[in-house]
Amino acid sequence: MAESTTMLQPDVHPTAHRRPVWRDIVKARWPYLFISPFYLLFIIFGLYPTIQSLYLSFTEWKGLGPIKQVGLKNYTLLFQDHVFWQSMENGVILFFMYVPIMTFLALVLAVILNSKRVRGFRLFRTILFIPYIMNIVAAGFTFRLLLEQKYGLVNSLLGIFHIPPVPWLESMWGGRVSLCLLVIWAWLGYNMVIMLAGLQTISNELTEAAMIDGADQAQAFFYITVPMMRPVILFSVVLSTMGSFNLFGEIYTLTGGGPMNATITPIVDIFNQAFANFRLGYASAMAYVYFMIIFVLTLLQVRYFGQRVD
Amino acid sequence: MSRTNLIKKLVGVILLSVIILTACGTSATPTAAPQAPATTAPENTPVPAQPTAVPKPTGKITVWGWKAAMDVITNSGVLDDFKAAYPDVQVEIVQYSPTDVYQKLPLALQAGTGAPDVALVESSHLAQIVNLGGLTDLTDLVKPYVPKINAYKWPDATLNGKYYALPWDSGPVVFYYRRDVFKAAGLPDDPDSVSKAVATWDSYLDVCKTIKQKTGSDCFSLNKANNFARLYEMMLWQQGLGYYDDQGNVTVDSPANIATLEEMKKFWDAGVTSDQLEWTDGWYAELAKPTPADKPIASLVEASWMGTFLKSWIAGGTAGKWGVALMPAMQAGQARAANDGGSNFVIPDQSQNKAAAWAFVEFVLGREQSELKLFAYSDFIPSLETTYSDALFIEPDAFFNGEVARKVYVDVVKTIPTAHVYGQFYSQMNGFVATAIQKVGTGKMSVTDALKEAATSIRQQTGLK
Repeated sequence: MAESTTMLQPDVHPTAHRRPVWRDIVKARWPYLFISPFYLLFIIFGLYPTIQSLYLSFTEWKGLGPIKQVGLKNYTLLFQDHVFWQSMENGVILFFMYVPIMTFLALVLAVILNSKRVRGFRLFRTILFIPYIMNIVAAGFTFRLLLEQKYGLVNSLLGIFHIPPVPWLESMWGGRVSLCLLVIWAWLGYNMVIMLAGLQTISNELTEAAMIDGADQAQAFFYITVPMMRPVILFSVVLSTMGSFNLFGEIYTLTGGGPMNATITPIVDIFNQAFANFRLGYASAMAYVYFMIIFVLTLLQVRYFGQRVD
Repeated sequence: MSRTNLIKKLVGVILLSVIILTACGTSATPTAAPQAPATTAPENTPVPAQPTAVPKPTGKITVWGWKAAMDVITNSGVLDDFKAAYPDVQVEIVQYSPTDVYQKLPLALQAGTGAPDVALVESSHLAQIVNLGGLTDLTDLVKPYVPKINAYKWPDATLNGKYYALPWDSGPVVFYYRRDVFKAAGLPDDPDSVSKAVATWDSYLDVCKTIKQKTGSDCFSLNKANNFARLYEMMLWQQGLGYYDDQGNVTVDSPANIATLEEMKKFWDAGVTSDQLEWTDGWYAELAKPTPADKPIASLVEASWMGTFLKSWIAGGTAGKWGVALMPAMQAGQARAANDGGSNFVIPDQSQNKAAAWAFVEFVLGREQSELKLFAYSDFIPSLETTYSDALFIEPDAFFNGEVARKVYVDVVKTIPTAHVYGQFYSQMNGFVATAIQKVGTGKMSVTDALKEAATSIRQQTGLK
């Protein structure tokens, strides 16, 4: 084999005598050096804490004072912890409550904005994207005032139509719905922009051809746009999956995890254990179990959706 | 490629990464080390027991606390008095909400850097922070004050016989009520008669029913779905109960605790309470409604510090319409006193200027004149009992229609039983019990089942029996 091909495709070289990795590294030392700042930062702020918390998950530690080795105690305790399992359950419930609606709305809005018939494309795109760049703490408090049971604006408006006050933040499902409203409001624009970027890679000719063949708008949307957009939709859904288990600022300011832990997510629970109860070991164990679950979930999602992408 | 070239490049890359790393490092800890220059302060050693015998401290100290309390220190003139007495000490007050203090202070103690020289901590969170560690052992300095301060304040401030805080104020729970609403309901509205009318929680319930029927006003606020157990804790405290007993065994599902929650539930069942969550704008609004026709909340069982808040930001416009009586008892003849909240100053061990920090704490909280000045400006009743004979305690209060409210506070504070509500596991215990109360309030569970569930979780999670 010619020298030049080897250089272009070093990896497909027959495995007869594979060169040691370090030699590749030495050979490409300059590129490696130039990307090293990232790896240095990653090692210090990413890898080290990850390993350290694995160690901590087998201990009891308040963050100060002696670290007590407790073996698997944190993990066995975790399986009896109602709140943790409820937080996982909440993640799933919240996912099914808002992700389908939000993804669908984001796609529809993106298609509308992408069609040539909408004037002021940039203006609408900006308006829809603004909530995403708003401070979530400010938004959370504003939603709390709006959704207040007795004096909130939303219930006052509903009262005009003789609809009795809705216990938005005063019941388990009300709390979840309120949270979903806030999340959709905050994240719709972000997902729409992802969709919009995807749409712009799809050629208009496909839809036009379908229309000429007699398809209507809805058919073109469901049979042309949606299948073509599958990888983008998958990307957006995977992000939202992790997002629904990871919700923090929204919950912290809007519901505080209540009522009756109906809106607590694993991240909020882990935060409470670590920073309100000073149980760093237990929180680390939670973080590891939570990581494993999210990892498997994402894997399943990619496999299930991803199959038909190609 | 020449050798020097290589070295140059290598150095360049290393420099670059070092710069990025340090930039990152500093931004990660914005509240870096305390600025206090370690001029005369002995480092990490206890301050001498007699601060008067040594030269006066100098330098700068940082004090963390929440606005309502810090304003009292500043506006009452106590801060100026301190500056006059210690001209060489600069005090920087940093305002955080209580929640922020309970998040930032432990983090700073754990990190070993970033803590203030003095921090204000409520009794509810004190034991947990004392247990965490990182506070200065003040035993020798605090000892002279131990007999002078409300005895029930000390258990949360001590660990293994050592003292870590100096209490500021106590939280004697009293019965605040709207005279105009009581009158409109045809009930007697002078404090003595009201105290008699609400002698027990059962008789209070009857009063509530009358008020609701005659005026339409809700008797008090008792939120269901987001209840955070505050009133329940006061009811436990007045009976000397709590979440655990003297041996540290969990009592959350004890018959007495269950009976107490059943008693509280009666008010929900009777439909006489407002569902307005405490400490929200709606709650303030309902307390501040000017006339009985607006259906204000008629009463409020809360600690004396509530008086300050009512007078200032909550219901300033209702001056003269309030009265102060004794809180209801569980059974006739039992204690009509409980504690809610109350604050303390602590000195983190990483303070570089402990001499000045203690001088500040002692000047503000240990001196009768200072405590009285603070009290004259607020309703934060001193934990320092040697102030109770002052003329201030017999002064009529215009907000309470000329009633001597402070006399009620001091009568109550002297009879507060020792209880096991707070403690090192308070945040967990309060969390589980609050959830149980929410389940009872929203009708999802019976009192017994909810408290049993909470007790099981608490035992599992804390390892207590």
